[in-house]
Amino acid sequence: MVLDRGFSYLLLLAFFFLILFSTNSFAQDPSDTLAPESVTNVDAFDTPNDNGHSITVSWELSSDDGAGKNNVVVYEVYRSDSPEGKFEKRGMVPAGENTFEDQGAKEKDNANYLPSHKNFYYRVRAKSDGLFSDSEISLPAYAYGQWYHTGKTPVLVAVILFSVFAITFITLARKGKLFYIRPLAGIEAVDDAIGRATEMGKPILYIFGLGTADMIATIASFTILSRVAKKTAEYQTPILIPCYDSVVMAVAQETVRAAYLEAGRPDMYKEENIFFLTSMQFAYVAGVNGIMLREKPATNFYLGKFYAESLILAETGSIAGSIQISGTDEIAQIPFFVAATDYTLIGEELYAASAYLGREPVLLGTLKGQDWGKAVVIFSLILGALAASFGFQFFINLFRIQL
Amino acid sequence: MHPSPDIGIWIGGLLTLGIFSFLYGDNPYYKFCEALFVGVSAGHWFITLFWTVFIPKLLGNIGIAIHTFRTEGFAAGMSDYMHWSYIFGGILGFLMILRLFPKIGWISRWSLAFVVGTTAGYYFINYLVSNGLMQIQKTILPLTSVGNIILVVGTFCGLIYFFFSKEHKGAFGGLARVGIWFLMITFGASFGYTVMSRMSLLIGRMDYIFGIWLGMIR
Amino acid sequence: MRRSVPLLIVSITGFFMLIQYFIPLEESEWLYERILDWIIVIGCFAMLLGLWSLTYVSVNKVKRKVPGWGYNLVALSGLFFMLIVGFVPGQESLVRGSAFMHLFEYVYIPIQASMFSLLAFYIASAAYRAFRARTVLATILLVSAVVIMLRLVPLGPLSGINQWLANFILTVPNMAAKRAFWIGVGLGATATALKIMLGIERTYMGRD
Repeated sequence: MVLDRGFSYLLLLAFFFLILFSTNSFAQDPSDTLAPESVTNVDAFDTPNDNGHSITVSWELSSDDGAGKNNVVVYEVYRSDSPEGKFEKRGMVPAGENTFEDQGAKEKDNANYLPSHKNFYYRVRAKSDGLFSDSEISLPAYAYGQWYHTGKTPVLVAVILFSVFAITFITLARKGKLFYIRPLAGIEAVDDAIGRATEMGKPILYIFGLGTADMIATIASFTILSRVAKKTAEYQTPILIPCYDSVVMAVAQETVRAAYLEAGRPDMYKEENIFFLTSMQFAYVAGVNGIMLREKPATNFYLGKFYAESLILAETGSIAGSIQISGTDEIAQIPFFVAATDYTLIGEELYAASAYLGREPVLLGTLKGQDWGKAVVIFSLILGALAASFGFQFFINLFRIQL
Repeated sequence: MHPSPDIGIWIGGLLTLGIFSFLYGDNPYYKFCEALFVGVSAGHWFITLFWTVFIPKLLGNIGIAIHTFRTEGFAAGMSDYMHWSYIFGGILGFLMILRLFPKIGWISRWSLAFVVGTTAGYYFINYLVSNGLMQIQKTILPLTSVGNIILVVGTFCGLIYFFFSKEHKGAFGGLARVGIWFLMITFGASFGYTVMSRMSLLIGRMDYIFGIWLGMIR
Repeated sequence: MRRSVPLLIVSITGFFMLIQYFIPLEESEWLYERILDWIIVIGCFAMLLGLWSLTYVSVNKVKRKVPGWGYNLVALSGLFFMLIVGFVPGQESLVRGSAFMHLFEYVYIPIQASMFSLLAFYIASAAYRAFRARTVLATILLVSAVVIMLRLVPLGPLSGINQWLANFILTVPNMAAKRAFWIGVGLGATATALKIMLGIERTYMGRD
């Protein structure tokens, strides 16, 4: 019995030491039940460079962010229109971030509407696994629109620079300075192509492609059409222009009529030669194919915006035996035009064509301005690449635009 | 062979063959299909535009404005400029139709001028930013790898090629020639890239004819 | 007046669109969005002009009984039938199962798909003409196209090399030339837009 009692005491002692040296699962560190430290210096201000419906909130990170036992997981941002009012949650950012943009809608009937010129108060909540602490309420802030977007300054500089180049050379051209431009095979062929149509007694077909009047490639094509139409008026060759878009048809009619007036042949202008076909891609192609095979034009011009139908048009024109001059700013269609037409104006050459055809000094001046623009680009590229090679990001930052 | 019992599929199949007959040469069968296509597509485009754009955008907005004027009064109606401002678009559009009358057709130039002017202003900025500044930013690369060097040199030579005010002679001509070589690589790549997709279109049509229409393949 | 007012409209609207890019104000944004909507509305009215033009040209050809006038009649019939089945049921005509949508599904779609698939034949004939390596440029075009075309084809031991080469071509020289192309187009388009806005290029405005 003495032994039994002693053994029991031993067991009790062992049990006592077991509990004493066991893991922390029984003993709790007092700091585990505390919320994380709140953020400080909450500052709300109007988001710059916007339309006046956004407020940005910034703060100093909680001292428990990325450190300490009560590691912050997320920051929640709350807003109210008065310091005593109800605060509603506007969003959250993960730990480590110290700014939040409260973007609101501009429409009054939108649930997310954030009115401008109205004071709002913000509070930031630092949260970690169900525990949180709120910051002090910020000073009031209101959203308002800006008159100038500072992030777009590189664009403004580019606009001014380009305009200065263009206007300088236009002014020099008006004073009589002559500018040289290198020959372009596609442009030099235009006269011969129109002459060929006159000799064969066949019409000329002019295709704008699928461009609408609100595309710059189509507008560039109008400027070329006026010069081509003037030549066809002088040579007394009919010109057929089936149009994909009604507004394009209207502008083309004005352009050709003016060209015929300028050439002194207003009586030769036939409005029914410039007509609308359809505004569906392959139906338009089918219609133009029919015109090519039945009217057998001697010369086809494809100048403007083209997509997948470019090859069908060019191949059919080739089958019909026409001389074909093409030009587009769609790089994906250039290979097909290069393969299937006789002359191709590649990209920027389409925009330069009107200056080449008219040879007006003012237009040649703008072409010179374009070249100076290219020179600035090349210079920036070389300098920028060399600087970037040595780790200087200056040139890349120069062209960074905030949209 | 299990031809489709659907008359619509039969019509589609016959029209498909009509278009393919063009590969043999221009013929009445193709001409019929082409004429039908042009007419049906023009009608489809007009109707779709009318119901999905014209009615909601113009008449819908003006209708809301008129309703506001009638139910909430003049002041409320005037403040609803979001809707009544579409009247300006309607006026410009109406001026466009006056082209049909030769004596007053000149007034349609105002609408054309509006379209051309806004396009010019919009694209002045758009192209300068997306085609100019952003491309330059992406091309400024450190010359620390072969790929980057080729990229910068290729862009440089390509730009030299597009110079209009200097003849392609001598060293300048040499750089321009390198530029056109790069352009030819791009054109060849574009060509090769699209070949497979065009072939798949043909496979799709063959599937329609032999699978869906004639039921010869499953 | 007939020319000066349109030119003034072009300049004012053009410069407004340019300046508004830099002004983030809500009012500027609102006017910009309205202007784009008005252009769509103008386009809607212009579609009447287009329809009139198509009808007028086709009717004229039928009246004068020019060769092939029967096909103009087919086009007119297709057009007016679509207009009737599109207008009469109202907006219901755009619902699947209507006569309008049946015509779209069984006439328009098969013909459109067939026209699109003709490209398979045309691309072969264009490739035959273009890929004759008679000049340095044609050879470069040919080699580049062949490498890219074969990138999806199993070539046994050569697959790895071809894949690498195709990837290199697409990401390096192809991108370089595209950038030069886009920058050139950007400058050209900007110059054209400036010429229009300054009234230097005014041929599209017509004359009296």
